[in-house]
Amino acid sequence: MNRKIGITTTIPVEVVYAADLVPVDLNNIFITHENPHGLLEDAELAGYPRNLCAWIKGIYTTVVKNDDINKVIAVTQGDCSNTHALMETLQLEGVEIIPFAYPFDRDQDMLGLQIDKLTLALGADREKVKEWKMKLDQVRERVWRIDELSWKTNKVSGFDNHLWQVCCSDFNGEPDKFSQEAEEFIARLEKAPDIDAPVRLGYIGVPPIMTDLYQYLESKGARVVFNEVQRQFTMPFDTDNIVKQYSMYTYPYDIFWRLEDISREIEKRNIHGIIHYAQSFCYRQIQDLIIRRKVNVPVLTIEGDRPLHLDARTKMRIDSFVEMLK
Amino acid sequence: MFCGMDLGSRNVKIVLAEESGIKGFYVYDTIDFYKKHGHKEEDSLIVDFKGLGLPEMELDETGGDKLVTTGYGRNTIRIKRGEEIPEIKAHALGAGWQTGLTDFTLLDLGGQDSKVVLVRGGKVSDFQTNDKCAAGSGRYLENMAAILGITLEELSSYTQEPVDLSATCAIFGESELVGKIIEGHPIGELAAGVNYTIYKRVKPMLLQLASPVIVFTGGVAENKALCKILREELEVEVVIPKYPQFNGAIGCCVHGGMRGSLT
Repeated sequence: MNRKIGITTTIPVEVVYAADLVPVDLNNIFITHENPHGLLEDAELAGYPRNLCAWIKGIYTTVVKNDDINKVIAVTQGDCSNTHALMETLQLEGVEIIPFAYPFDRDQDMLGLQIDKLTLALGADREKVKEWKMKLDQVRERVWRIDELSWKTNKVSGFDNHLWQVCCSDFNGEPDKFSQEAEEFIARLEKAPDIDAPVRLGYIGVPPIMTDLYQYLESKGARVVFNEVQRQFTMPFDTDNIVKQYSMYTYPYDIFWRLEDISREIEKRNIHGIIHYAQSFCYRQIQDLIIRRKVNVPVLTIEGDRPLHLDARTKMRIDSFVEMLK
Repeated sequence: MFCGMDLGSRNVKIVLAEESGIKGFYVYDTIDFYKKHGHKEEDSLIVDFKGLGLPEMELDETGGDKLVTTGYGRNTIRIKRGEEIPEIKAHALGAGWQTGLTDFTLLDLGGQDSKVVLVRGGKVSDFQTNDKCAAGSGRYLENMAAILGITLEELSSYTQEPVDLSATCAIFGESELVGKIIEGHPIGELAAGVNYTIYKRVKPMLLQLASPVIVFTGGVAENKALCKILREELEVEVVIPKYPQFNGAIGCCVHGGMRGSLT
């Protein structure tokens, strides 16, 4: 039996595991594909517009091309409206879509209902969902430790911080193995050399489509010690209640809720400057004006369209920003 | 001797200087510069100073001469034995040296770039640049002047009764201008419209990083109409340094060790 189920972003993954299914974060499959540009071209050949978010196009082709993914949980509220058309175009190709909506106002009753509906749709047992919540929290604890070491020591690179946390949307489909690998990574850190990058940066916004960003920053003397949305994927909240957990999760809700978390971490982690990443054609670009008014350290806004490398203009802007903070 | 080199998208600007001040200005077409006067050795470019008509530089550690580079080309090609500095920094240093000012907003409009830098106490405190589009740059002005069949100098003399040009793209802007020509607008109004388009492009950046004084540099600073529009619309003092096009290369010399100021 095919147990894989695609997800378009972080959803209550405890329910998926409780239903004895394997979640696959489609963003990760797209961006680690050997030719992500080819996936984008295929989506455009199918009729997707050129001036549209590359993540959406990448997810589309990823699902269409993977015969073993014929069911997708799509976040219809709390992510973006492009997902609606993504769902519909996938439906056209015969993919089964299960919608999941984060309520805009973080209403816990509504959110509880959504989680119940998902539980029912996947045929999971409620008690099992609770068990998986406890089990996954133990795995998350290890990633929380990696994140803590990222700002308390100089041993974790910005990319490793990004990668470990971003993988917590689906735990690579194998939570036990992932947990073991995280444990080994932490053990190796003791002997790891210090990273010489005195400027401390925070990265906010969706994960970057250009994967060389972190290395480039470190080559210029700046290290990311806070990855906002990636950290949210690890559910860094002290609660036993799954509904509460997903209502504290900031990403799908309003920008002011996110900013509370961002400001707290800037202070705690002694961050010198913020890089706000916005995907080309994303509505979140508008929120940049709110971020610039509310964040009390310098902000550099960078935009990414296609994978995988930073362009010369963005490099120039990063150089100047880091130089300014030195 | 200090050599400041600004590797721009259209031209390479070189300034030679000594600690006491500037000794010479040189400008080369970017493509010619790379093709005729450079050759690659491993991952860096060796510049043929003699071929460029420049004095030989002693760039070894013991040589005493210093080469500092900046500009768009810096990220793709490393000039051998040169120190690279970010463009924003080079331009802020150059503008400070040329004007003697320490608190100002720098507007640099080059071949493809628009940069706005807030300088406080002689240091960069914030900046913005255009992102994925070259509308509002020198290249845009060149294209529009060509369509109007006038020189850049003539283009830069019109500010009155501007036609409204709304296209946000430098290329689509051309066909919009052609449409306005067909409608029968006089050259002066069309040219004024082009100048106002540049102003509209940079206005949001200038308002966000505002100062009572704007130092205007880059090739587009030669556009007198745009200077007038900036002065009148923003009600600020607009200072054009003596060598607007060489500002980045001058900043490289300042970084290298050139002292004093022009004023």
